[in-house]
Amino acid sequence: MTIFKVAAVLLTGFFVGLTLEGIARKIIARVQRRYGPPWYQNFIDVFKALSKHGFSHGWIFDFGVLMALGGVIATLSFVPLGNLVAFPGLDNVFVVLYLFAVGALGMAMGMVGSGNPNASIGVARALTQMLGYEVPYLVSLAAIIFYYKTSSISNLMNLQADSWNLFKMPIGAAVAFISLMGMLGKKPFDTPIAPAEIASGPMVELSSKYMGLLMLMHTFSIFVEISLFVDIFLGGGSYLVFLLKFTVVWIIATLISAVLPRFRIEQVVKFYWRVPLGLAFLQAFFVLIGWVF
Amino acid sequence: MSYERTIWEKIADNLRSRSMWMLHYCTGCGAVELPPSMTSRFDMERLGMGPMATPRQADIFLITGYLSVKTLRRVIYTYEQMPDPKYVVGFGSCTINGGIYYDSYATINRVDYYIPVDLYIAGCMPRPEAIFEAFTELMRMIRKGEAIGWKKYKENYEWYKQNQLKSLGEVYVHDEFHE
Amino acid sequence: MMNSMNDLLEELKKLFGNFEVQEIDEREVKIDVESDKVVGILTTLKSKGYSHLSLLTCVDWINENKFELIYILYSWQNGCKFIVATWIERKNPKFVTVMNLWPVARFYEREIHEFFGVEFEGNDDMKPLILELWDDIPPLRKDFDPLEYSKKKFPGRQYDKDVIQEALIFRGDKNG
Repeated sequence: MTIFKVAAVLLTGFFVGLTLEGIARKIIARVQRRYGPPWYQNFIDVFKALSKHGFSHGWIFDFGVLMALGGVIATLSFVPLGNLVAFPGLDNVFVVLYLFAVGALGMAMGMVGSGNPNASIGVARALTQMLGYEVPYLVSLAAIIFYYKTSSISNLMNLQADSWNLFKMPIGAAVAFISLMGMLGKKPFDTPIAPAEIASGPMVELSSKYMGLLMLMHTFSIFVEISLFVDIFLGGGSYLVFLLKFTVVWIIATLISAVLPRFRIEQVVKFYWRVPLGLAFLQAFFVLIGWVF
Repeated sequence: MSYERTIWEKIADNLRSRSMWMLHYCTGCGAVELPPSMTSRFDMERLGMGPMATPRQADIFLITGYLSVKTLRRVIYTYEQMPDPKYVVGFGSCTINGGIYYDSYATINRVDYYIPVDLYIAGCMPRPEAIFEAFTELMRMIRKGEAIGWKKYKENYEWYKQNQLKSLGEVYVHDEFHE
Repeated sequence: MMNSMNDLLEELKKLFGNFEVQEIDEREVKIDVESDKVVGILTTLKSKGYSHLSLLTCVDWINENKFELIYILYSWQNGCKFIVATWIERKNPKFVTVMNLWPVARFYEREIHEFFGVEFEGNDDMKPLILELWDDIPPLRKDFDPLEYSKKKFPGRQYDKDVIQEALIFRGDKNG
């Protein structure tokens, strides 16, 4: 039974993730008054990339790409999608956060292994940015875990039956959403993959199959990040309700990113450690003194 | 000239024709025609095309305008860095026969003497309409399996190399500021 | 011509003897000087505020069998330009460097050496600047034939039809 559930989670990640990425491209095109690609464009892109004949850059590179994809797939199978929980009892916030680091490290290792200086710059920027958004995100998560005295995502979902955390702790939700934009690498925070500056950063040496696998990894990691936000802040519900909430969050993030320019890396860290971190501490303080709606 | 393809290669070619990522080699003046073809007026992305920042991810190599001896070396480097299958589009008169630089001591006269070119767009400069005409034609060629420049380059590598050496002396790039 | 430039010209004539002056514009003057006085004049001009060497270039006068070296000096104080020109022999051309006055002259002199073959004594850096693996006489000399070189080095396309004639007929230059 667990196998089917894991398969269901992964297939959801694949189909819904790629479809929503295609829809995001369409939305951005419409914001820019273009017609935009079809919604299934990203499926074509991934399969085309997998059909090409690429170059390897040594075994560290190969292993890094596989580790990135494998790590993210492993993370995704632990994330509950509404009432679809593949590993009941193991869907802990800390499990997800730690497993997620495996994928990120695999990507960093593989990309640095390609030997291209642009890739190293991109990875350095990605890790710096991670330092920026993780701190406010974890402070706001810690406030929630402290409030409910549990770190199981399923329990957190069920405990919001009366009112979502979005309304109970609006400041914390705002902080988490801003951090989510950074995790997704959406527009004001797409410094690590700045195509015009550092030739798409970590992906600079990725050809063909490696590119396809990294696109899948990107899709899955987007799915993990948004699912975590939806589960913790937007309450529980059935599988379909979950997907609906997921789509709404994704579209809001896309619309915000469609109209914004790019931060420089030091501006990213300064911003995260000033505004969202301050707000996160404020929220934690409110939770400590019991001001929760 | 067309090669026998298996059913999988036909499917793959179909996918390739609908997701073309381009690398623009914009040392010539043709680059100015690309922003209108990419932005709202003509919107290249609706055909699945888009600019790519690195040769590793690109399918199409768009050479806009004249190539000097110096840039030809970099073009050959870039072309050989791209993963197969790759398609080259020569853009503007200068890539076809030298254009107004036919008697220059520093610019080459035809690109397909050095690397295989699948398609040429004539004009000085070609308008975005001509660019779209060319790309729909290239899509048709890829679907039918006629865009086989990358196979020709492998089969006739000796001939291309000999031409490159004849015009350039040496393909290797020496760079005073990095050595 | 501005008064300050006139005064400066008088002073230069007093110091270096007479030379030909050609007024181009209200703020632009070209002076033709003998080659042994160039460095002295440039030094004086630099000390009088014409401190920016905006161009150093060369012209090939093949009928006179001479090269003309041209220094364009710009003053940031009043926006005036002095164009100092001098003539050197075309055969075995040699001149002195002005690298000690303007360090940037190193690159102008490298370029002139590459494109005209003029040697600059005192400039130790005479490597090619722009061309790669050049194998003929310097290309901006008037006796260099670029079309012939292009034909020899970069083969053009062979046309079955005579397209040039056809284009002339299309354009109406010729009757078809």
